[in-house]
Amino acid sequence: MTDQTWTRYGISVLLAIQLASVGCKKDKAADAPPTGGSSSAKQLSLTLDWVPEPEFGGFYAARESGAFGTHGLDVTIKPRGQGETWKLVAQGVTDFATTSSDQVLVAREQGADVVAIFAVYQTSPQGIMVHKARGFTRIDDVFTNPGTLEAEDASWLKFLRARFPSAAVQLTSNSPGIATFLAKSDLSKQCFITSEPVQALAAGSDPQTFLIADAGFNPYTTVVIARGEMVRKDPETIKNMILSLREGWRSYLDDPPVANAVMGKLNREMDASTFAEVARVQHDLIETADTRKTALGEMTTERWQTLAKQLVDVGVITKAPPPTECFVSLDRLGH
Amino acid sequence: MNGASARRFVASIWPPVLVLVAGMLLLELYVRWANTPIYLVPRPSKVVSTLVLERGYLLAALWSTTKAAVVGFASSAVFGVAIALVLASSVWVRRAFSPYTVLFQTVPIIAIAPMLSIWFAPGLKAVAACAFIVSVFPVIANTLAGLISTDLALVDLFRLYGAGSWATMRKLRFPSSLPSLFTGLRVAAGLTVIGTVVAEFLVGELGEAQGLGVVIVSASHNGHSDRVFAAVLLASALGLAMLGIVNLVGRLVLANWYAPARD
Repeated sequence: MTDQTWTRYGISVLLAIQLASVGCKKDKAADAPPTGGSSSAKQLSLTLDWVPEPEFGGFYAARESGAFGTHGLDVTIKPRGQGETWKLVAQGVTDFATTSSDQVLVAREQGADVVAIFAVYQTSPQGIMVHKARGFTRIDDVFTNPGTLEAEDASWLKFLRARFPSAAVQLTSNSPGIATFLAKSDLSKQCFITSEPVQALAAGSDPQTFLIADAGFNPYTTVVIARGEMVRKDPETIKNMILSLREGWRSYLDDPPVANAVMGKLNREMDASTFAEVARVQHDLIETADTRKTALGEMTTERWQTLAKQLVDVGVITKAPPPTECFVSLDRLGH
Repeated sequence: MNGASARRFVASIWPPVLVLVAGMLLLELYVRWANTPIYLVPRPSKVVSTLVLERGYLLAALWSTTKAAVVGFASSAVFGVAIALVLASSVWVRRAFSPYTVLFQTVPIIAIAPMLSIWFAPGLKAVAACAFIVSVFPVIANTLAGLISTDLALVDLFRLYGAGSWATMRKLRFPSSLPSLFTGLRVAAGLTVIGTVVAEFLVGELGEAQGLGVVIVSASHNGHSDRVFAAVLLASALGLAMLGIVNLVGRLVLANWYAPARD
């Protein structure tokens, strides 16, 4: 082969590797057309930061139950994959997207005018999964005992690392799937309590999960964001979106099977029983004592303030923004 | 280095440096003019200042990546050439095993990362193993192509003089395969760096021993595009340095008898 041929070969391999590296994002095309929308309904798009799973059940329920249509919206749900979905919102590629509240603060510090309008998980499902046989009783044990912790270098890990500066545990990148957890008894792994522990249990392992929220770091998770410009110029649409999402999530919490069946067709990796189990596990993370007093998806100024201070303390952002810039509620929209 | 070779060195260096400086200047002007958000494209001047201000953090990551890349590349060079020699030893062996070397070319790292993390300890060994898998195929394929495309007249001459297959391999086939072998190593040099960076965010260490791959993902997650591009620049520099070393060694080895190596 000539040098030129090999140059071409090299380029193609580089492209293949790049594709492989983003393979975990499970990029998918937009799903089936939304239902319940009339021809006069406002066309909108909602981009998810992962594949269809119960964490997004209320969005699909809002579509299937016609909640979007009732409020004059025609929302196309686009599963996409992990990544900085706030950039897509900031650049107008999508109207709404899901992310977490710490990412909203990161985005705003970078000059991206994105605003949270609805928080699905009031208690973050982010956790660390360990083998029960190790006899750990609190999250501190993960850091103070030898072993390996697989995790992404995300805000919550920075928070915990600051708390355990001389940790005995070895930190490594988070490998895809749960194979390493199943294979190694001294390995702990980051997880969503709604995902990896359920899989590990099904695989015959003995997962025990410590929630990061219990350690004092509790960002709102699966937060729906919109452009600040839309919030200011078209508050009616934002109001309608919030109301639709409330109804959708109410519907999903009360009756998961309908939306689960729809999502199951889009995500062949999760079987029906797992969909049902995850929907059960996540219920109390979504509907809490606070949301029973207010409404599903509501956020508070105090929690945004606390999170911003924590992110400043660990160096993720340099300055805490005024919390009222970061989120809106129906009250503030004049509902 | 004498005066003539120094002049040649300078003459070969300044065109790419000029392109780099001009490209960064144009990008700086465009980003300022278009007021592009920093989370999309950082100003080159900001990337440079990040490189300077965070040099301790970034150079530590570069060192980790360099170690894994060098181990991966050295493994590719040694095992790639060895595998090619085995495949060249007989037509039957070549027919039986060559198709399977393509596995190295096609295997998606993300699919086997957990296995590598289990077989090797997470960290340098697992990352180097990924780099090896990504970069070994061009070494095998090029070396093999060189070994089996020896001038038939010379092979006949060796046979005429009663040279055995080992002597023919050692004195004819292997030396005549060296230009192809170095072509394979040049391709592998760049692939090794890409393979290392990708592997780092799948099976690499976090903390003090973290490499550029972890820095890139972490900085990207936190919206620090200046740090992302600073790390990317360092990874590119590592790739260029490895390519330069391969070229230099190739030149030293081949220059006396292979005309293109003198260019």
